[in-house]
Amino acid sequence: MSRLSFKGGIHPLKEIHEGKEATKAKPIRALVPEEVCIPVDMHLGAPSIPCVKKGDLVKMGQVIAEPAGPRGIPVHASVSGEVTAVVPKQQLHGKPSTCICIRNDKQDTWVERHQLGSVETAPADKIVTAIRNAGICGMGGACFPTHAKMALPEGKTVDTIILNGSECETFITADHRLMLEQPERVVDGLRASMRAMGVLKGVIAIEENKLDAYEAIKKAAAGREGVSVALLKTKYPQGGEKQLIQAVTGREVPSGGLPMDAHVVVLNVATAAAITDAVTEGKPLIDRVTTVTGIVNEPSNLLVRIGTPVSEVTAACGGTTEEPGKMFFGGSMTGLALPDDTVSVTKANNCLVVVNKKDAVLQETSACIRCSRCIAACPIMLNPQRLNVLCEAGDLAQAKKENMMDCILCHSCHYVCPARIKFPFKEAKEKIAARRI
Amino acid sequence: MNLRMSAGPHFVARESTQTLMLDVIIALIPTVAAGVYLFGLRAAWVLAVAVISAVLAEFIWQKLAKKSVRVGDLSAVVTGLILGLNMPAEAPLWLPAIGSFIAILLVKQLFGGIGHNFMNPAMLARGVMLVSWPAQMTIYTLPIRVLGNTSVVPSPDVVSAATPLIRPSAYSTYDLLIGNIPGTVGEVCKLAIIIGFLYMLFVGTISWHIPVTFVGSVALLSWILGSDPLTAILSGGVLFGAVFMATDYVTNPLLNIGHLIFGIGCGIIVVVIREFGNYPEGVTFAILLMNTATPLIDRWTNRRVYGTVKKHA
Repeated sequence: MSRLSFKGGIHPLKEIHEGKEATKAKPIRALVPEEVCIPVDMHLGAPSIPCVKKGDLVKMGQVIAEPAGPRGIPVHASVSGEVTAVVPKQQLHGKPSTCICIRNDKQDTWVERHQLGSVETAPADKIVTAIRNAGICGMGGACFPTHAKMALPEGKTVDTIILNGSECETFITADHRLMLEQPERVVDGLRASMRAMGVLKGVIAIEENKLDAYEAIKKAAAGREGVSVALLKTKYPQGGEKQLIQAVTGREVPSGGLPMDAHVVVLNVATAAAITDAVTEGKPLIDRVTTVTGIVNEPSNLLVRIGTPVSEVTAACGGTTEEPGKMFFGGSMTGLALPDDTVSVTKANNCLVVVNKKDAVLQETSACIRCSRCIAACPIMLNPQRLNVLCEAGDLAQAKKENMMDCILCHSCHYVCPARIKFPFKEAKEKIAARRI
Repeated sequence: MNLRMSAGPHFVARESTQTLMLDVIIALIPTVAAGVYLFGLRAAWVLAVAVISAVLAEFIWQKLAKKSVRVGDLSAVVTGLILGLNMPAEAPLWLPAIGSFIAILLVKQLFGGIGHNFMNPAMLARGVMLVSWPAQMTIYTLPIRVLGNTSVVPSPDVVSAATPLIRPSAYSTYDLLIGNIPGTVGEVCKLAIIIGFLYMLFVGTISWHIPVTFVGSVALLSWILGSDPLTAILSGGVLFGAVFMATDYVTNPLLNIGHLIFGIGCGIIVVVIREFGNYPEGVTFAILLMNTATPLIDRWTNRRVYGTVKKHA
């Protein structure tokens, strides 16, 4: 079977099968939380505005925060019950987020829902609005509002939608299980998106370490108009938009541009499944599949209500085998560390990894030995060794000239570095952007 | 709950500076074994003095300079070992000690330690010794034992002999390959070097680019100039230099295209020195010259960044 890929890249944690062994065979099971605390700023852009107050009774799927501006999305109650607080709570980083906390009455009393019909018959011009009303944002991690991604500026054209089922990050099996167990939901979501955008070609791209999911999706996609399935090489960052577009279409996103400049829109497979629910059931995005793994007693793929605190998630997996030293959302390459276990699971969190004290210790950095491993690893063909020297010397103007802003922060260079250099590219990019160097 | 907050990656590759150096040491085992077998215990002494002096020099410097002691990264062991393998077995034992001190103190630490030297420490130390103590550095003797079926008569006593570079017709291709010839401890057994090369390729310590272009260009140029290409690459230190010294990360270019230029440059200089120079061998100076050209090569080479149009340097 031919497998598509991109230039550069790495195979992280190859020796332990990308850390996915513990959960890849675990069927998705639902977690019913006691209480949820839903942040109003889960998506990229201006936070939504709370429209409920303490003491209100809310139904499942009810809008509890209104979108701010045309690119914003609403936030919905993920359980039915009483609002116990609307308070700022510390989430991953930065200032505390406003959270709406609801005690779950476990009745699952749904708000009235309006469905559009099947994905093939729903009025095409109403789909984008339905996606927005359902509060859907990119569930692969970025949480960019999907309706805003679909609204192309004047003069831009898209001919292909790629569904990202590569799941190239370590540890995560949430998309794997979703594609395996509910392939129709994924394919339907692609068809709805194609119809909404008037795009004739849709490709579902899956890495070859998930052959069972590939077969399931292939079966579900058979006979669907314009839909094809592509098998990708198991390589990181295969699921990066730029790499995925290069692998599937052979095109490159121009430096400084967006996928639509390569006439492509990339959506995550979980996002596609949420789109299906929005169109066929009028169901907003109130839950998602999250892989929970690491030192938990029962590594699992959980269907988690949005806003469920991490403490309830780890408890649902039998607690931890030893004292945690670190927890992060996402895979080990780009995952975001948690300050504690009171943080809520959001629409973006596909995975929670709990690490013991020993593995949480950072290794000491030593001098660069110019081994070129970072250069071979860089999927953008940058020279991380040289950029690191420039960043350390504070010469950000020169770093910008040498394409610093094209770095996608995949951390491949950092992963392979035998001297454990912590390439400071996120800070460098932020400084260049802020100072307009 | 006391959790560590840090940015990704939360796990990194197992490969570290130390494991890379260890892989080079493992790759050198066949060469060390062949050298000690062919030249006897005397060769083992040269290697031992070189390694111990190199580690000691690094340790003392880092202590005196109040730096963290990093002899555990094994880079000084590699430097000492390679330096010893670059010396004749009959060299006086003060010579490897001095050589290691030159390599570690003068070439490596004075320029800032690991990663900051602009020439290969062992190579420059050999160069310095070759110029300062030419007689002691070129006491080439016949092996005291031979390997396999050969017409070469091993000599249990120390008998000086001309290297194949001076008298190429004296030895068969088999002798050149297996090491039944006079020369430095490490350079004679080409078979052992090739085994080490294949090991490093297999585990990914080095890529093929520099050794293959280096050896290939020596063969091609020698052939063009009327010499036997096989004898050219199996004589002297070409193979040892191409596999273990030109591939030193710190002192060769970063990009693959740079590696190709570096390898070809080394090959050209070796043949020019051999064919037109006063020295019978040119590997040392070829690699040192290309070491100094490395920053220039890095400046002149680039690759097309994703999503951009190729820039011309």
